Amino acid sequence: MSRFACVLVEHFDAAAVERCEPALRERPLAILNSGLDRPNVGREGAPTAQRDSAPAKVMTTIEANAAAREQGVRPGMTETEARTRCPMLLTRPWAEEYVASARHALLEAALAVSPRIEDGGAGLAYLDTVGLERLIGDPAAIGRRLVHQVRAIGLVPRVGLAASRTAARMAAATGSGAVTVISRGRERATLAKVPVAALDLAPDLVMTFSRWGVRTLGELASLPREGLAMRLGPPGLRAHDLALGLDRDPFRPWTPPPFWEEAQGLEWEIDSLGVLAGVLETVLERLCRRLAAVALVADALEIRLGLASGGHHARDVSLAYPMSEVKPMLTLAVLDLEAHPPPAAVIRVSISAHPIRTQAGQGGLWQPPAPAPRDLVTVLARLAALVGADNLGSPVLVDSHRADAFTMLAFSPPTEPASSDRRRRGVGQRPDDVPQHAAAQRKQRLALRRMRPARRMEVETVGERPARVEARLVIASAGPWRASGEWWDRQAWARDEWDVVLGDGAICRLARDRLTGHWYLDGFYD
Amino acid sequence: MDDTLAPIRGEITEIVGGLSSGRTSHLLACLGDVVGRGETAALVDTEETFDPGSAAQAGIDLRRLLWVRCGSNREVALRAADMLVRCPGFALVALDLGERVPRLPTTMAFRLKFAVRRTEVALLIVGRRRLTGSSAALAVETLREGIEWTGPGPAPTRLARVRTTTRVLRARRAEPGRPPSHWWSA
Repeated sequence: MSRFACVLVEHFDAAAVERCEPALRERPLAILNSGLDRPNVGREGAPTAQRDSAPAKVMTTIEANAAAREQGVRPGMTETEARTRCPMLLTRPWAEEYVASARHALLEAALAVSPRIEDGGAGLAYLDTVGLERLIGDPAAIGRRLVHQVRAIGLVPRVGLAASRTAARMAAATGSGAVTVISRGRERATLAKVPVAALDLAPDLVMTFSRWGVRTLGELASLPREGLAMRLGPPGLRAHDLALGLDRDPFRPWTPPPFWEEAQGLEWEIDSLGVLAGVLETVLERLCRRLAAVALVADALEIRLGLASGGHHARDVSLAYPMSEVKPMLTLAVLDLEAHPPPAAVIRVSISAHPIRTQAGQGGLWQPPAPAPRDLVTVLARLAALVGADNLGSPVLVDSHRADAFTMLAFSPPTEPASSDRRRRGVGQRPDDVPQHAAAQRKQRLALRRMRPARRMEVETVGERPARVEARLVIASAGPWRASGEWWDRQAWARDEWDVVLGDGAICRLARDRLTGHWYLDGFYD
Repeated sequence: MDDTLAPIRGEITEIVGGLSSGRTSHLLACLGDVVGRGETAALVDTEETFDPGSAAQAGIDLRRLLWVRCGSNREVALRAADMLVRCPGFALVALDLGERVPRLPTTMAFRLKFAVRRTEVALLIVGRRRLTGSSAALAVETLREGIEWTGPGPAPTRLARVRTTTRVLRARRAEPGRPPSHWWSA
């Protein structure tokens, strides 16, 4: 049984750009050094030395996709030379955000198949496949699952499975199909014809083997180990182990970062929200594809806009409901940016999502339908833009005797059935079976229409009873209903409440503040 | 809440009446019926007069109630109600217009009517006078009939309850029978 799988995406810098611009996939594409220092983000290949030695001002090719390579374009060529070989060549500048996003996306896709993965560099991920056969099937099935997951995020992988990471990587790099499996015990024979250059060896070591006439891993593996140790030391022994398909380095598990980021650099400045929404949608689509590939959802977004003025405009968009759909996320993001527009033209868009795993729940058979999360979050965002977020939500009473004491919480209706419904209805009982008088048993309470804030009134009294309210005759009154609280604090309050029927028929609640002697209209009974 | 006066799903219902006639108590009763069944309701409160204490005493699970406060802006209230009735899943959307009911263009009334039909939401409009004209399937007027006081001594110290009745102004479907009186406890 294979112990490791290797996922390899060839020409990764070009693949990262193709992922962001799928239309480039079938056309010859070269990634150019834009003059910026390119970090050592992954596997080292032959072009590295040429890349580093190229003058900074000359635009050189640092990566080319398969279509461009068919035309003879190779990393290290100048742009002029590459265009001479391939007149139809398309070029893009190297963008760190594309490569970083694609690299994380690849690792997350691998993480959806195995819980133990290792970051092998840009375009390379190793998976520990022990135990997966019981979940997925034989090694070929595991490989196919990996290919499916990685294709879902917009990359085209090659997968190798073998007893060691090195053997798996060689299988992925040299195999004829998308999935290559090396049976246990066949590693050495399979690797025998692979050239030494395929290993990640120091250039001087490769030169030494070349001088010795050692061209393939089979030839390297057949060298006497003691002699290699004596002449080349530990690097020679490591090279020998790799040629035998043995891993001596420990497996370093990769854990995903708390936020997943997708970014897009722009070749032009955007100063209109409508155009920016199109870019946001593209970035969100990539982000949501990554989330969907591993069955996760996001509960918060962080939008970071690079500005032409040199600064940044950052916005946190909290999602009312964990989601992985592009449309409501885009709506929320655009509404937020409408309310808080960037102060200058935008030249870079970056969106981070906080991923969480949700438990899929199933509503009860007789449970009434509730607004779909997507619809609800959209309408809440629109209402928040219309009336303000503070004026929207569910009221919660505060544990106080103070009049009108409540707070507002974000609207999030409970998913369980109403408690009264559960109590009334037995198991297997349909809603129609609920006794008709049950609803009638609910209390019929007189509602108060509150005045906010309570309106100060001029009240004439006879004794302590109100007789006229703002020149309106009081027909009947009841009170006082005395209340006080928080006398131990600076916000002490004390009041006498009166229920009053006015001459025009209105029933109102008046309150006399005992600390100031002022009268207030709390509201009308209605 | 009397079944004959309950808001109809997919239709517009209007409750009109003067101050202290019981229209807001009827509104709370409708909200309580909907929320008590485990459904979700929304209240567009034009003048921000909704009292959560009264609603809690009426047995309303406030977690299932979306309260939208419109700062006495009637245009905003109508737009908020228009948004909510287009969101499927709400069983009841109540629009409390308060004392000053605006003029509503006929086109807007029809727009609301077709929106609630499409989403099967019950739209309940409460105000001093009618708003949507012939677009409402049911319109009732609330009237106060009596008041009772309570208190330990000869002079009452508190309002005990208020009795109201309703009069059907418009019923597109079958004419309901004479609605009973309601006692609303303070």
